[in-house]
Amino acid sequence: MAGVAGGIADTLGVRDGYVRAAFITLVTIWGLGLILYLGAWLATYERVVDTEIELVESRRAIGLGVAFTGLLFLLGSIGLWPNPVLVIAVAALSFGTAAITDPSSPGPLVALMNPDVERVSRPRLLLGTLLLIGGIVMFSTALGQVFEFGIVFLAVFLTGLGIAIAFGPWVRRLLMDLGEERSERIRQEERAEVAAHLHDSVLQTLALIQRTDDPQRMAILARHQETELRDWLYGTAPLDGVDLVSTALKQAATRVEEDFQIPVDVVSVGDVAVNERTRSVIAAASEAMVNAAKHSGADRMSLFVEVDEDVLEVYVTDQGKGFDLSSIPADRKGISESIRGRIEKVGGSAQIESVPGEGTEVLLRVGL
Amino acid sequence: MTKVYLVDDHRLFLSGVKAELSEVFRIVGTAYDVDTAIEEIRGYNPDVVLIDVHMPDGGGIAVVEGVGETNPDVKFLALSVSDQAEDVIAMIRAGARGYVTKTIEPEELADAIRRVDAGDAVFSPRLAGFVLDAFAGAIPSDEDPELDQLTSREKDVLRLIARGYAYKQVARKLNISIKTVETHVSSVLRKLQLSNRHELARWASKRRIV
Repeated sequence: MAGVAGGIADTLGVRDGYVRAAFITLVTIWGLGLILYLGAWLATYERVVDTEIELVESRRAIGLGVAFTGLLFLLGSIGLWPNPVLVIAVAALSFGTAAITDPSSPGPLVALMNPDVERVSRPRLLLGTLLLIGGIVMFSTALGQVFEFGIVFLAVFLTGLGIAIAFGPWVRRLLMDLGEERSERIRQEERAEVAAHLHDSVLQTLALIQRTDDPQRMAILARHQETELRDWLYGTAPLDGVDLVSTALKQAATRVEEDFQIPVDVVSVGDVAVNERTRSVIAAASEAMVNAAKHSGADRMSLFVEVDEDVLEVYVTDQGKGFDLSSIPADRKGISESIRGRIEKVGGSAQIESVPGEGTEVLLRVGL
Repeated sequence: MTKVYLVDDHRLFLSGVKAELSEVFRIVGTAYDVDTAIEEIRGYNPDVVLIDVHMPDGGGIAVVEGVGETNPDVKFLALSVSDQAEDVIAMIRAGARGYVTKTIEPEELADAIRRVDAGDAVFSPRLAGFVLDAFAGAIPSDEDPELDQLTSREKDVLRLIARGYAYKQVARKLNISIKTVETHVSSVLRKLQLSNRHELARWASKRRIV
């Protein structure tokens, strides 16, 4: 407090925590520590400024420790100990605390507060923890004679405290490492996702372009890839994250183009948010497009979307071979029924018009 | 033979189109940039200019406006991959007589050039969609209400074009002659160019987001 302990520590070349622990221990012997401390304070003319001192090698520190222990026992043997348990317990506690909390050579408590400091050396940690536990156990045994019912609870608490002090920094460090690992893993997953997407889209398209001789086809491929990449990079929903019917239908059209290698010319007028009713129109339109791609024989098709006042209309038009509505083959009937079913479930209507040799048009209409 | 001039800053695309069209038309020249295009078109005075919408230094609009001052008879057909409705509509308002996308088939492109040369308007499905959008929700002005709105017949024609039907098919669907379809389309073009009100209301504020 007055710099006495620090001064003596500097002179002896040991950590001031230990010197303070020695003083505290000596206090238990009829206040000897206090007397010595005051005497040393009075005898010191100049206060020692805290400086970085070179710590002596551990051998000398151990020697000093042994000497101090000898002194303690000498005092004890000549009958000066007022209470052996008290002296030993206080000594164990104060030295144990000094061993694990010294900021100049950080112990686990310091490490717990500030994870940047280096790990405490293992023997010191072990010794300090043992001293602490021993001291607390002795203390509590002494007290336990008065408060016996608390002994079990105390033992559990002390053991827990000891473990926390001993392993706290290690657990903390482990958790931090885990956190770093997790964020690194997330970064890697994102990178893998980008790579996978580019592989499935851009690289595939580039490969297709290299294998195509038809410049028209190349232009279509490149244009679709550009649209798709733009959507992916800058988001598909232009307004407040709302999914729009036009966007969803364009994506559906792109899927049909990819799956069946047939261009779909999408034209949209007005727009509306995707909800349960409009979603069924999107699904039905996708089915109509797939149907046209499979059966019409046309080399392209049109998708026209119009939101007018409170009606959404979608036309899927092809100029392929068409079919006679009165003699629909069973498989196509199933498809048209399923398109109609989807729409009628949400209160809309579906019309299918087809003229053999001229093409087919599917009109989907639902109120908003 | 119809004299055609080509303007596109993509040289590869330009040479491809030139090869396709040179059998049917007399290609009098090509340009990769706005300044050369204006200068040469003034000199060659071609019948039809096929022009890209997006180019550095002002784009196709700069050429249409620059040439329009001196050579009002030169007709422009816009050709673009652009998906931006505003750009395409602006190009039409500047004086282009039609808009087709670059994915158009060569025969269809030749057909469109002939149509523009004959003084008609060429509406691709996408342009029809853009125009419907531009006029949607427009409130007619007091001065000239007819210019600010499409008639229901004009809307019908545009909707059929947007669904991918050729003029001939539109005519049959509506039980009218091709000539009448062309009249409707030209009328829409005139409204688009003369009206100063359609501010593309739908894109600006009237998207129905519920």
